[in-house]
Amino acid sequence: MSTTINVNGHDHTIEADPDSMLLYALRDDLGLHGPKFGCGLAQCGACTVIIDGEPVRSCVTPVSSVGEAKVTTLEGLGSTEAPHPVQQAFIDEQAVQCGYCINGMIMVATAFLEQNPNPSRDDIIGALNDNLCRCGTHMRIVRAVERAAKAMQTEGAQV
Amino acid sequence: MNMRPEDLHADRQGMGRRAFLKGSAGLVVAFSIARPMAALAQDASAEAAASYASPDASKLYAWLAINPDNTAQLFTGKVDVGTGVEIALAQIAAEELDFPIDQLEVVMGNTTQTVDQGPTYGSMTVRRAGPQIRNAAAAARAALLDLGAKHFGLPANQLQSVEGKIAVIGAPDQSITYGELVGGERLDIDIGATGTGFGMEVAPDAPVRDPSTYKIIGKPIFRRDIPGKVTGEFTYIQDVKVDGMLHGRVVRPYGVGAELLDVDETGLSDIPGFVQIVRRNNFLGVVAETEWAAIQAAELLGSTLDPAGPSEAGAKWSDVKNLPPPDQIWENLRTVVGGNRAAANGNLGSVDLALPFAEKTLKATYQTPYQMHGSIGPSCAIADVKADSAVFWVGSQMPHTTRDDMALMLGLAKDKVAFNWFEASGAYGRNGLDHVIADAAIMSQEVGKPVRVQWMRWDEHAWEPKGPAIVQDLTGAIDKDGNVIAWRHHMWVPTTGDTRLVAIEEVGGFPNIGRIGQGGPTITYAYSFPNADVAAHGEGRVGVITCWLRSPAQFETTYAMEAFIDELAAETGQDPLSFRLKYLTDQRAIDCLRAAADLYGWEPRPSPAPQQQDEKIARGRGIAWVNRDDARVATIADVEVDRETGVIRVKRVVVAHDCGLVVNPDGIMNQIEGNIIQSISRTLHEEVAFDESRVTSRDWAGYPILRFEEIPEKIDVVFVNNTPQYPSLGAGEPSTCPTAAVISNAVFDALGVRLRQMPFRPERVLAELEAAAAL
Repeated sequence: MSTTINVNGHDHTIEADPDSMLLYALRDDLGLHGPKFGCGLAQCGACTVIIDGEPVRSCVTPVSSVGEAKVTTLEGLGSTEAPHPVQQAFIDEQAVQCGYCINGMIMVATAFLEQNPNPSRDDIIGALNDNLCRCGTHMRIVRAVERAAKAMQTEGAQV
Repeated sequence: MNMRPEDLHADRQGMGRRAFLKGSAGLVVAFSIARPMAALAQDASAEAAASYASPDASKLYAWLAINPDNTAQLFTGKVDVGTGVEIALAQIAAEELDFPIDQLEVVMGNTTQTVDQGPTYGSMTVRRAGPQIRNAAAAARAALLDLGAKHFGLPANQLQSVEGKIAVIGAPDQSITYGELVGGERLDIDIGATGTGFGMEVAPDAPVRDPSTYKIIGKPIFRRDIPGKVTGEFTYIQDVKVDGMLHGRVVRPYGVGAELLDVDETGLSDIPGFVQIVRRNNFLGVVAETEWAAIQAAELLGSTLDPAGPSEAGAKWSDVKNLPPPDQIWENLRTVVGGNRAAANGNLGSVDLALPFAEKTLKATYQTPYQMHGSIGPSCAIADVKADSAVFWVGSQMPHTTRDDMALMLGLAKDKVAFNWFEASGAYGRNGLDHVIADAAIMSQEVGKPVRVQWMRWDEHAWEPKGPAIVQDLTGAIDKDGNVIAWRHHMWVPTTGDTRLVAIEEVGGFPNIGRIGQGGPTITYAYSFPNADVAAHGEGRVGVITCWLRSPAQFETTYAMEAFIDELAAETGQDPLSFRLKYLTDQRAIDCLRAAADLYGWEPRPSPAPQQQDEKIARGRGIAWVNRDDARVATIADVEVDRETGVIRVKRVVVAHDCGLVVNPDGIMNQIEGNIIQSISRTLHEEVAFDESRVTSRDWAGYPILRFEEIPEKIDVVFVNNTPQYPSLGAGEPSTCPTAAVISNAVFDALGVRLRQMPFRPERVLAELEAAAAL
């Protein structure tokens, strides 16, 4: 059946089984690459998107449950031309190995920093603890989020 | 002639749609190489009669293309399995070509555009493919100087290369770009190549640069893939779409080696978009128009996290128990028939004749479990199989080899099969990425359309090749002065190179596709004990397919060797670093151990550390080292152990790393950090669970890995022998090897108990503490 979802500021009408998961709509119908299929079980975080400010695992979120909510994916944060401060911080720290988990890391960190602009290292570690990285990029990911927090504070102070 | 890069080759296969980024600035340079995948597939089918052969390695165009706008492509059969090695290869080529690195794109793994330089494994890309690329680039620079000589009417020795231009020496305003000199032509120049794969010698006469003049090698140049990966603009194999493509899922047997007795298709046709099942002997798959429909259909047939039994769902499997009882995994290894092989330098004097002279003899057994690669993204491939040709989109670490396998399976000539390579989720060895190619091929052949197959999480966990369980017995004999007079290290090792494909075994036949292989003494034994017996009982497949997992078997053998030497040091009351140094003559190993000790601030003393026995948290330090294929690594770590909970935390890690000349220091730092974190995870947490039918670790709950809360506070790295006189060695694996021994030794230092079985989960630590208290 036909459903309309708001993704990255635009309404998209798609044909989807209402019980099917948002992840497949984003990847297969909208052609987005940010959210990834990792487990389909809400265990790893590779599929994370932000829905109304909260990080959500799109692999277990039925399309029918999205309703009017605003979905943001990795693509909605920024681009290589104009990266979001969190994305820029991951570039500056080279906080990627294979990068398959990084979507989840950036989406969780972005939502987290919105609510906790001045986090400690332990706060960041706690926020990311439910996201899995297999390459072992953890040290750099934490540093990237620390760097992003500082950059966003400076940016905020300039406004 | 204004050639587009893809026109430089006779074939029409596209290259990876990879964002090409300018240096470290993170800006995308629009490069006209990207062609939509849909168009690509049409090209492939329209030209089905064309040859998809790989280029001739003895031609310069097989390695490099230089375009009129003075951009260039490096073509390499090596791929990036998530290590970032792409930038290192670009640095090697740009250095030798004398070319701006931000104008040099790297095309990896496409079989129609690249030479087979051997699989991307074993930390061998920079070490083995690096010199091949270096020589090809040096030959290109020589050829450009010759073209310049014709252009300026001057002898080549009056010209020089200057970052992408040929200039007249002493007249810098007289210059011409490489792109203008080449004029859009293919570099149809013989450079010579002999041998194959890792051993291939390319352009042996090329005038390579003196390493002491390097300007690009040694710089921490940013990777090109990262901006695309952090913004969703990067295309992984999991993101590729092909026009008209259907979605497939596999339905694997309930038990390993089960027969497919029957398929009850009830309910499948009610799933909107369901197309058909694909059944070939014991191979079963489903094909649908949407991914969701394929997942639903596979679930009906039994592909779920917790299948109820061999015949509870639509697919009816024979009830088999082909695996050893889980509590007998290591005992079973001792009973499997295999070959015996001594390690290099591992057969010296006579241990048996020396033993009667020992003041004290120690014996210990070390047991390590089956472990998995655990890629975050399940394996994925697309196949478009036609009657007379086939095109694939793959994330394989060995695209040329698997292309050959698929040609064999499909009954096609190799030059009728094309593999387009895209990066996948990190693999750390051979995961499901090659297996899923065969799955997609069978399904595409059956439905006559392109089919994309992605494994579900439980497919990957249960069916990816594992790292094998290993059991090791060690004996050490000490004389009255505390010297080691004999050392025996016997290991029982299943194959770490089983390249048979799951789908092939389900279909049956094809004995020449892949091989099971046999385990061996994967160890570098370097101690100078007067009597030594280091040998492996090498086995084939034991239970499940086992294949290379980061530092195959050497992670495990280093654990046993370096923990047991610690046992001897502790037994004789000697400092573990001094004890090792006493028996080492390998200068690079000694350099690494000393460098690590200096950085750490090592004070000599025997283990265990003096502790306040009533403190809840015990603290210890451990040291170990490895020589993995000539790269030396020494690691020291501090751990804390909670005596009440048994939880181990690694607090600080110091690594001294000698892989010779470092091409990209930040890239290697990233790899070392990754090796350390991943090997801490393997040491503390990881063990594949089985019953007698199947792997029961089918998700992250069943196979936990390290989380952020458990990472060290610091990982400090020092490079040793990072100078031009030491050729570059591999760095993708070596720093994995010492970790388990380091942690075991540190736990002994903290608690006085020895952990001889991985993983070091809290219950094992508590059991050892209890056993020690009962003594």
